[in-house]
Amino acid sequence: MDEGTVRRVAKVSRLDLTDDEVSIYAADLEDILSAFAVLDEAPTGEDFDLDPVPVEDRLRDDEVMAYPDPGRLRREMRTADGWVRGPRLA
Amino acid sequence: MSVMDLLAAVRDADERHRIFAERLEDPLAYEVEHAFHFSAKDNLCTSDFQARAGSRILEGYRPPFDATAVARLRQAGGLLIGKTNMDEFGFGSFSTNSATGVPRNPYDAARSCGGSSGGAAAAASMLEGHLAVGVSTGGSISCPASFCGVVGLTPTYGRVSRWGLIDYGNSLDKIGLLSASSGMIRRYLPAISGPDPLDPTSQVQPPLDMSGQIRSVAVPEEALTGLSGSMRAAFEDAVARLERMGVEVRRGAMPALRFALSAYYILATAEASTNLARYCGMRYGDIEQETDQSFNEFFSRVRSRGLGREAKRRILLGTFCRMVGFRDRYYIKALQVRELIIREYEEQFRSVDAVLTPTMPFVAPRFDEIESMSALETYQADFLTGPPNLAGLPHISIPCAYIDGLPAGMQLVAPRWEEGRLLSLAERWENGFEYRRPEGRA
Repeated sequence: MDEGTVRRVAKVSRLDLTDDEVSIYAADLEDILSAFAVLDEAPTGEDFDLDPVPVEDRLRDDEVMAYPDPGRLRREMRTADGWVRGPRLA
Repeated sequence: MSVMDLLAAVRDADERHRIFAERLEDPLAYEVEHAFHFSAKDNLCTSDFQARAGSRILEGYRPPFDATAVARLRQAGGLLIGKTNMDEFGFGSFSTNSATGVPRNPYDAARSCGGSSGGAAAAASMLEGHLAVGVSTGGSISCPASFCGVVGLTPTYGRVSRWGLIDYGNSLDKIGLLSASSGMIRRYLPAISGPDPLDPTSQVQPPLDMSGQIRSVAVPEEALTGLSGSMRAAFEDAVARLERMGVEVRRGAMPALRFALSAYYILATAEASTNLARYCGMRYGDIEQETDQSFNEFFSRVRSRGLGREAKRRILLGTFCRMVGFRDRYYIKALQVRELIIREYEEQFRSVDAVLTPTMPFVAPRFDEIESMSALETYQADFLTGPPNLAGLPHISIPCAYIDGLPAGMQLVAPRWEEGRLLSLAERWENGFEYRRPEGRA
């Protein structure tokens, strides 16, 4: 794996790496990924599951609860014309 | 053992072998009425200790609850005496990647306990009657069990609720048990097993049936290459002993096994890189006070300081394998290979009750030997434990030899949900094979 890719991946992973670290990890990952290339020899399947065993979601009924003080919630919100204002995202 | 003897044994074992990240020190706490004592790997949340999972980034994290497995053992009469040392977040096979203390092998303090449940295996080895709760993702119960000469059971994925377990890989993590012999595991596996509404992956299990037996095993030839000469000889002696016990041993081949390790590391690190995104300095443990930077700068700084070298390596590897452009060749392919391995085991189980291999290719290495191993070499040490873990199948490591005084284990893999037959065989094995104990063991 070249150092440029390591830096890119590190940025996505929110990791600050020193130049030495980039160099070390690039060598390690190159080594490791070469070994993983054995997977190219494995047959491709059509189907696969993300889980090794079936997963079942057990749901419960909604439990309705009243907010303790709706008035306070409204007082602390930023509103405009009866709508709640949220922070700008972009 | 009296309360004071237990306290002294725990203190002594900890001081000499650095078993615990944190432990019960108050003698009064030891006097609480209990049926047995147990420890929990430090990636399990308990409300009475920190949970640091071997990492600096969780320094000061005190969970507000008990993991289900821990709560159930307390209900069964267990006294939790401490949290055992481990590789950071489970990343390692020698417990050397620990920011809270590196445990030393009970048989030779210059050697590793194995990992990542190294402290758990050492506790099981050194403390009489102790039950250690460990966790396996790619072999982290089997490996230290083999190196420390104890029995290590990794249940089927989904058998034990993972509620309260600090995740490494959600589709691979399994909570299991280690003890000096199979009796304690047999007795308390039912306590920690069973559906838990807090973990959906624990909901589909059939009831635990402890009555199974092993009458025949298959030894795949792929498991016999890459072993040290002495391990190979010791394993063959163990096979011969099993045959004398009346177990039929068939030699076979499982060609897909050679893909297992790569598939395991890709899936495990991909999942880990996602799971560790939450460690950003704002939610768990001691909160960083300097907040003058942008979020991304803040997160990056905290993570770079708090995460160890192996953790960073695995995050980089896992992130890469699931990135657009690389995902098909690595992550998707690994998922397909997992199916292949599962089917290959199913094929074996049509004609035998279990698959038998050595647990590890060598005995516990010295710390200086480990330091000179490359990352790839450390990963490759898992080639025997990786396959059952990838497939989510129950497996057990049983001490079967002592090579120059150091323990070595054999590993049996059973079909999904068949933990019972593994423990039955361990019990039968123990009738004829005498386990040694490390010197200085209480």
